[in-house]
Amino acid sequence: MTAIAAAPSRTRPRGLQRLLATELKLSMREPLLLFWGLAFPVGLLIVLGIAGPKKPQHSLGGVKLIVAYTPIVMVFTLTILALSALPAALASYRDKGYLRRLSTTPIGAVRLLAAQIIINFALAASAVILIALVSHFAFSVALPRQLGGFLLAIVLTMGAMLSLGTLIAAVSPTQRIAAAAGSLLFFPLMFFAGLWVPQAEMGAGLRDVSHYTPLGAAVPAVQNAIAGNWPGTVHLLVLAAYAVVLCALAARLFRWER
Amino acid sequence: MNETLTYTTAQTATDVVVSVDDLHVRYGDTLAVDGVSLSIRRGEIFGILGPNGAGKTTTVEVIGGLRRPDSGSISVLGLDALGDRPQLRQRVGIQLQSSELPDKLRVAEALDLFASFYSDPADPAELLELLGLAGKRDDRFANLSGGQRQRLSIALALVGRPELAILDELTTGLDPQSRRETWRLIEGIRDQGVTVILVTHFMEEAERLCDRVALLHHGHVIAIDTPAALAANAGAGQRISFRPSAELDLAGIRELPEVRAVRRNADRIVVEGSGDLVAAVIGTLVRAGVIPEQTRIEQSTLDDAFVGLTADAAASEVADNTREESR
Repeated sequence: MTAIAAAPSRTRPRGLQRLLATELKLSMREPLLLFWGLAFPVGLLIVLGIAGPKKPQHSLGGVKLIVAYTPIVMVFTLTILALSALPAALASYRDKGYLRRLSTTPIGAVRLLAAQIIINFALAASAVILIALVSHFAFSVALPRQLGGFLLAIVLTMGAMLSLGTLIAAVSPTQRIAAAAGSLLFFPLMFFAGLWVPQAEMGAGLRDVSHYTPLGAAVPAVQNAIAGNWPGTVHLLVLAAYAVVLCALAARLFRWER
Repeated sequence: MNETLTYTTAQTATDVVVSVDDLHVRYGDTLAVDGVSLSIRRGEIFGILGPNGAGKTTTVEVIGGLRRPDSGSISVLGLDALGDRPQLRQRVGIQLQSSELPDKLRVAEALDLFASFYSDPADPAELLELLGLAGKRDDRFANLSGGQRQRLSIALALVGRPELAILDELTTGLDPQSRRETWRLIEGIRDQGVTVILVTHFMEEAERLCDRVALLHHGHVIAIDTPAALAANAGAGQRISFRPSAELDLAGIRELPEVRAVRRNADRIVVEGSGDLVAAVIGTLVRAGVIPEQTRIEQSTLDDAFVGLTADAAASEVADNTREESR
């Protein structure tokens, strides 16, 4: 174990790759995460597709129930990952002193944060693709016709929600509080997304309010893109604004140590 | 003799690995570190000792580049501890007090992960073997005992093959057997040229392992020396007790320059002092025609030095305060 001079530039990618692989493995060891982030949304979609009315619904703006709910389930999945998985991992890493431990190594704690965000982004993207495929092949919901608009809407939604998740981790003193804050925010956010009352069935005033919430803007943006139209500019701007503001706040408030 | 001296000086000048000068760190209103200066040479095990709150951990955190000092200059391996942090992290291994890993991370995964961060890491499998964790490769962190976690933490600090290893509370939580094994491991890496900074409050550990120690108290360095020299200079010095074979006049012993105190304890005589105490006392006894029976000689330890020096420091602080108040 003699000391040998450093050659850091060559090793960085290797370290980050290993970090990503390790974080992915750790995510796969969370059964609750896999259930809520993958099994439950796909199951919900299948139940809605089989048990729900097959005819276009007047109250849903003339579309079938499964068509209205496919984007809602996508957004639901992103939200579970962003508000539950991400803050739980980051807050527990901080509580344990793992972030601090990493900050003594060449990889640094910043890359760990990046790895967590990338992994959750990848998990969310896989879930969205899976949901799109299931609803297409099982219930003949069309694949997004405006693919560019769809991807933009999904990426902005993920940006807004992952920033919100990081912000929760940043301001929560402990892992417990982070978990509580995540689930507390989940219900109002999903309400505006239309999980219980689809936006088409909401009153005009409530619908307007919901369009200024992150998920209330995300659902119509995704719906439009699936239907073949470019998502509404206001919806995209609302999502982008949430992503930028929440991300800046999270970066400002994040504490590496307890 | 002259040659040796020159050689030693040159050695010292070129081989300083850590140099801390007039370091101050403040937490709110309290000065955690108040003017600490020390220099650590290549290949030595340097102990940092002191009671809780003395500023030990803060000092090594600054050396490791984890904490920004309020003032003072710190050079580590010829690098600026603040400016060259990426370089430092590559060459300095740090074991932190009470830092945990993700619950579901397995032992071998943790070591492979940390090894991937460094340009020239040690072989993780070999390190696990050395630290007696080979059988725990596939255990999750959450299922490890306190001692196993501690050993894993040491392995993670060493996996980058650092030139300088900073170990904070190295053997806390280890059983005596693992503690001894860990000491051998640390001596092993020192013998391979790694410089080690050891923060500890176990005097036995410092005496056994450290080439030199710094005693910290209330953010000040109150002594830096080898453990043996510190112990020898400590107030207690040495103590001899024996049963005289015949009646003995204590005045003759009391007059010896090496002797500080003499007392009778039942049929035994206890002499305390320093320097060449044993030879002086025995010489006096022989001249008086008295034979010492059941002789016991106790050497004062680093523990005594620690207690003595921190008490002195506390007393002089009280004196300072009193003087200030009376002004």
